[in-house]
Amino acid sequence: MSDVNLTTKIKGLTFRNPITVGSGTFGTKQDFLDYVDYERLGAMTTKTITRHPRTGNPMPRICETSAGMLNAIGLQNRGLEEFLKNKIPLFAKIKTPLIVNIAGEAAGDFQHLAEALHKEKDVVKALELNLSCPNVEEGGAGFMRKRERILEAVKVVRDATDLPIFAKLSPELGDVVEIARDVIDVGADGLTLINTLKGMAVDTERRCSRIANITGGLSGPAIKPVAVRYVYEVKQALGVPVIASGGIMTAQDAIEFLIVGADLLAVGTANFINPRATMEILDGISQYCRDHDITHIDELRGSFHHENQISG
Amino acid sequence: MADEVVKILDNRKVNEKYYKLSFCSHEIARGAQPGQFLHIQINPTLDPFWRRPFSFYRVDGDEIEILYEILGHGTAMLAQKQAGEVLKVMGPLGKPFRKAVKPKKRICVAGGVGLPPLLYLAECEDVDFFLIGAKSRSEVMPDSELEHIKGTVMYSTNDGSYGVKGYVTVLLEQILKEERPEDVFIQTCGPMVMMQAVRDLAEARYIKGEASVDETMACGLGVCLGCMVKTHAGWLPSCTEGPVFDFSQLQGSLICQT
Repeated sequence: MSDVNLTTKIKGLTFRNPITVGSGTFGTKQDFLDYVDYERLGAMTTKTITRHPRTGNPMPRICETSAGMLNAIGLQNRGLEEFLKNKIPLFAKIKTPLIVNIAGEAAGDFQHLAEALHKEKDVVKALELNLSCPNVEEGGAGFMRKRERILEAVKVVRDATDLPIFAKLSPELGDVVEIARDVIDVGADGLTLINTLKGMAVDTERRCSRIANITGGLSGPAIKPVAVRYVYEVKQALGVPVIASGGIMTAQDAIEFLIVGADLLAVGTANFINPRATMEILDGISQYCRDHDITHIDELRGSFHHENQISG
Repeated sequence: MADEVVKILDNRKVNEKYYKLSFCSHEIARGAQPGQFLHIQINPTLDPFWRRPFSFYRVDGDEIEILYEILGHGTAMLAQKQAGEVLKVMGPLGKPFRKAVKPKKRICVAGGVGLPPLLYLAECEDVDFFLIGAKSRSEVMPDSELEHIKGTVMYSTNDGSYGVKGYVTVLLEQILKEERPEDVFIQTCGPMVMMQAVRDLAEARYIKGEASVDETMACGLGVCLGCMVKTHAGWLPSCTEGPVFDFSQLQGSLICQT
């Protein structure tokens, strides 16, 4: 329908547009299909898959905050086996590149998942490594240990598959540019920036946390400026492919990320408020391009110029 | 199911506790069943951030009514809305109450914000006993809102200012003394503590029934896995697998789900 070319290429993959979804925020049930044409998405990203099924965290798991929300779902999912058996055939029918998000407690889990998904290359087009879920116990791992574990996970996945790998990083790893560089050095093709920030909200009547897990991951527009900053810094420093994620609710938000250089845009929490958010953002990006005489999205992507501020 | 921008026809206070809001939507009204809900975006801005779920209270042709209580920030904003202002409304969502219970007698047990879906059920189906728990007389619904109920309506109030003094379970216990367990079916909606007490009374007597749960909900479409309820089939999202659950589905207490 669009006269604007939104085609986005990353590492030999071609996406019809830059819109994908945040892991765990998008449905495959009929309820959701009523609102969204999956074939209009640039890419589809799954909820985190783990090697074994996970029951998730106790209730309450979510709470609303100012322009955002906290969640501590705890990676509830039915595990790899069920995913291969029931979900892969479903995604095989959709002509949209599939990015599978995976997480593990140890490098061995990542390796097992990567090997199994590598065999599904007809359907699975890339892997996104969830290296940053704030809601899963890591035995109190300190920063150095976390860094080692992240690099170890990327390495074993790299050895297991030639599928493009995106490492999804927490904004709370200290110098994210530095760790992003290390992650690329050990074999990741790109980064997903950012995962949620660990946060907390207190029930003032009962004087307890509003989340059973006490803390949860903050998402939504509240974290968008943090995400824009990280995408900007990593693109400036490394120039590697980036899937931007963090508070994208509108086309305007998406365009901010495109200007600082984002390759794909993951619409996450917005899907909970508006199941048609991805479609509306896509239409809005096309409209913006038409309004600004942009014929190919690459003219917009990375067009950030600090000097523009001075020249007015 | 639809997701539409609708114009508010009316939004007014019914009594000390409840407000009633109405709007028209052919698409949403035509599939609506008692126990199902609407997911309403109160403002197009980020405040409140999430939508809020409301049960259908009444559906007449294309006109839909919700009955609500100010419980927090979102409903406080909703109560300020005037006729002519707009809302974004998605629905109908979720699984409804069981309609056919005959030859059993239907007992509805409602409390607080659990009243609207059961009143809608009583408008569509025969009810033998309709029990309502309230804090005091000021929360009692005007007769005009209850006149369509075909069965016996009974009130309990915590302070005894209207009906029987005590919790609504006092009324339920009275009725269950007179009825054979195999002859009744209970449908309940209200605070989790109340529904758990109702379920305890029912299960001790092998009485069957359903509860409509009220968990904090974000997406309403079974995606976020926030509004989970513990069942014998594992944690299930109450927005798509509920909000109405058979007593026999539920595992453990409704009060503290761990």
